[in-house]
Amino acid sequence: MDALAVLIPLLPLMAAAIIGIGHLFGQIMGERGERTTSTIATWAITISCFLALALLGSGLLGKNTGVFSAGEWLHSGTLGIQVNFITTGFSTILAALFSILLVIVTRFSINYMHREPGFHRFFFILCLFSSAMLVLVLSGNAIGTFIGWEIAGLCSYLLISYAYDRPVATLNATRVFVTNRIGDAGFILGVGVTYLYTHTVDWGSLNSVAERVTTPTATVIALCFAVAAFAKSVQLPFTPWLGRAMEGPTPSSAVFYGAVMVHAGVYLVILLEPIFERAPAVMILMAIVGLITAIYSFVVGLTQTDVKSSLCFATSGQLGLMFLECGLGLWQLASWHLCAHAIVRGYQVLTAPSLMHNVLGNLIKPVSRDIAGIRWLYIASIQRFWLDPIADRTLVRPVHGLGRDLGYFDDHIVDRVMGTPARTSLSISSLVQLEKKILGTQSEYDPKEFSRGHGLAGKLFQWTADLFNWFEDRLVLRGIGIDAINMGRDLGYAAIKFEKLILKPRYLVVFVAVVLLLASAI
Amino acid sequence: MGILSIFLGTPVIGILLLAFTSRQDSNRIRFLANLFAGLTFLLSCWLVVIYDQQDSAIQLSEQFTLNPKLGSAFALGVDGLSIPMLVLAALLTSVAMLASFTISHGVKSFHICILLLEFGMLGVFLAQDWAMFYIFWELTLIPLFFLIDRWGGKRRHTASLNFVLYTMGGSIFMLISLLAIGHYMPEHGGSLMSSMTEAARSMPRDEQVWVLLGFLLGFGVKMPIFPLHGWLPLAHVEAPSPVSILLSGVLLKMGAYGLIRVVVMLPEAAQVLQPYLVFLALFGMIYGGLLAWRQSDLKAMVAYSSVSHMGIVLLGIAALNETGITGAVLQMSAHGLIAGAMFLLVGLLYERTHTRNIQDYSSLVQVMPRFALFMTLTLLAAMGLPGSVGFIAELHAVIGGYQQWGGLMVFFSLSILIGSAYAIRTIGLLFTGPVKPRMKEIEDLTPPELLAAGVLVTGIIFFGLLPTPLIDLSSATLSHMSGLISQRIQ
Repeated sequence: MDALAVLIPLLPLMAAAIIGIGHLFGQIMGERGERTTSTIATWAITISCFLALALLGSGLLGKNTGVFSAGEWLHSGTLGIQVNFITTGFSTILAALFSILLVIVTRFSINYMHREPGFHRFFFILCLFSSAMLVLVLSGNAIGTFIGWEIAGLCSYLLISYAYDRPVATLNATRVFVTNRIGDAGFILGVGVTYLYTHTVDWGSLNSVAERVTTPTATVIALCFAVAAFAKSVQLPFTPWLGRAMEGPTPSSAVFYGAVMVHAGVYLVILLEPIFERAPAVMILMAIVGLITAIYSFVVGLTQTDVKSSLCFATSGQLGLMFLECGLGLWQLASWHLCAHAIVRGYQVLTAPSLMHNVLGNLIKPVSRDIAGIRWLYIASIQRFWLDPIADRTLVRPVHGLGRDLGYFDDHIVDRVMGTPARTSLSISSLVQLEKKILGTQSEYDPKEFSRGHGLAGKLFQWTADLFNWFEDRLVLRGIGIDAINMGRDLGYAAIKFEKLILKPRYLVVFVAVVLLLASAI
Repeated sequence: MGILSIFLGTPVIGILLLAFTSRQDSNRIRFLANLFAGLTFLLSCWLVVIYDQQDSAIQLSEQFTLNPKLGSAFALGVDGLSIPMLVLAALLTSVAMLASFTISHGVKSFHICILLLEFGMLGVFLAQDWAMFYIFWELTLIPLFFLIDRWGGKRRHTASLNFVLYTMGGSIFMLISLLAIGHYMPEHGGSLMSSMTEAARSMPRDEQVWVLLGFLLGFGVKMPIFPLHGWLPLAHVEAPSPVSILLSGVLLKMGAYGLIRVVVMLPEAAQVLQPYLVFLALFGMIYGGLLAWRQSDLKAMVAYSSVSHMGIVLLGIAALNETGITGAVLQMSAHGLIAGAMFLLVGLLYERTHTRNIQDYSSLVQVMPRFALFMTLTLLAAMGLPGSVGFIAELHAVIGGYQQWGGLMVFFSLSILIGSAYAIRTIGLLFTGPVKPRMKEIEDLTPPELLAAGVLVTGIIFFGLLPTPLIDLSSATLSHMSGLISQRIQ
């Protein structure tokens, strides 16, 4: 039964490939193609859900070996990366749970996305995401998990910017993606540090050598993965990205930020339990961060006026509690909490749009008087503790400024020295170019530009080429080629002339006389 | 009659059949010529199948004495060096035939000339006897002279004369060198390559250097090595495009092929000349690249890029180590495919637009998308983009060169950079830009042209992604050769 673990992520991936290629070649298009797309997606995810359940079942019956290896992906020196999967324990439970939730969300999306312009795109990304998420939870090594981790992040980016013609959506998507990259950096660093100290990237062997790892080493490893987990599971100071991520269509919000993806961080921490147990400092940090996030989310959640925002702060609050539990060593509780929360939150987010219909007219329960009276807390809550402006001030703006300065350096110094490529053509690829062309500020391609260099390096290039060209033209082509032929012809003419002269009687006599003279001299 | 004689004889049978065909019946002529070119190509593929890759010796050899007094023999044989060249020659002849459907006058003599040229080229690569090699070497000149002189462009007379004079001038030095080695042969020793190699060992070193210089002049003209390339731009530009394909695709390789054989024969002399060779190689690469960059005539650009690319072959040979020579042989195959495809496509374009000035073109991708695809892939391969066979060859050559000279290879990179400058510019000028009215109604590639270009470009990509079969084909012979060289120069 172990081998099923390969098929579980593979099926949605194939579905994504079929939908993508079909759409690319114009086979699956428009409203007529909706049925094809939805059938492919539903079947693939449903089958992989059944497979995940089968894997879970056989795992519970004790028929699985624990790890299934499908071969080696990369081998270089002492580094060997297997394509392997975990086939027992918490990973299979999560795989089954997530795949059930994915089936539900896929079914929900068929009606929800009907006649939307990006129907096929949505299902393509959903299938890809399912595959990535199942790889993430099932992979037996850090690299596989990281691949799933990254693809899930990419899918999240693509779905937040689902309405990519709206500037707000794309801005939010970029912001979320960049925030997540901080966590990814932690993940990569974690993998590197793990390999450096333990010479393995396998989760199984990492956990089995955890006993022998010293506390400082374990602290470093755990810290790196904790940062990754904090970013993915929206803990402070990364929490604000969740609010921005709600931009996407509701089913995607449900599956990404309610039910499935946000739990990846908690899953990672639970997976690495033996390492975290060896690093008490990180455990304390995790507990503190989890607690603060829970309190923060509670306070901010009180002042939210729309359903999606409230749900998103509720999510981050619950995730904070999970980290608190992990930090306190209550691993079992945290994993149960994760599963329960995934189901409840998935349900809530999916029903959020109709909830507004159902509760229309119901009064919202007022906030308790004790808290409502604290004015500064109210302002802080409305402003979400100014986390976004602070990040802007401290990170985004300095980076912008640096970019601007480097751009100036590039334009005024590097380009002057190295030269810019000559514009070979001016095709109109944007409206701005069209406008420029109409206004006449953009000239056509200038033939004089041909074989001209710009900048110092370009000029040097051009002069060398000119010199060589002169050499080639003057000496090689004309000198040896044409001149040699001409010279040969002239010589031939001269020889003919000489021949003619010598055959004239008077010269013949002279010639004979000279020969005779010479002969007599010898 | 062995398989090699049949292989060599196939074009001859074609010529004989063509000779008895009426000159009016051009369809029949084309069919026959294509049939025999195709048969030769199939036979060359069969040779690859029966060729044993593990064996570094001369295989399938056939031999009988022609002239007992002199000892010259009709000796044929293949090894890992000649077999890729044989396939390339047969393939490019077929491609050239497919590209010559637009030849309208003198169809019969044109096809006879091409088949005769093929006969000569195959003979050069098959010959295991220097006398025979020399005869076939000179034999290729006859059809080429007529091909350029009769079916060429405006300056075809100058071009053909120039070409023949240059090559003849070089061959004389080659002949003198061969005779010089002959002095050291035992009585009635003949002129077999293997026995000449033995004889060359007993020569004093200074004589060896002179002999190698003679060979360098002879083969260097053909290859071409930097100052001896004067015939090439003119001949390539003026020749009709099927002939340009053969000229750059196979004829240049004959020079490199001969040079490798000679370097194995005279390794000590090659070691003495090594610094000069690497200078000529690197200088020629940059020189050719810069001049290609300066040409606005598409065909001249491709011609000069050939000078630049054959510099890589010389560099690989001059490195005198196994990686370098492997790089040289790979680059010979790679350049055969790439230059062949490039001249084919440029020729097809010229037939449609009657201008070779690159600045006249614009936005061709809209009218001829298939052409654009093939041309872009070929140009990218010409600049050595990974994923194309050019990259594999350049990588081997640069590694071989690095083992020998280290940091000097920065000039190699420079020439690659220049190469990408003109390749990308050409793509830009041909396919992008505003639509010009003159470039609006151009027919895209027709099925035979598509087949010809498709085969070459598929080869370029296939061997770029999966180079092992190509490398394995000649690796046994080349490691044997480099073993011989390193044994002698230690």
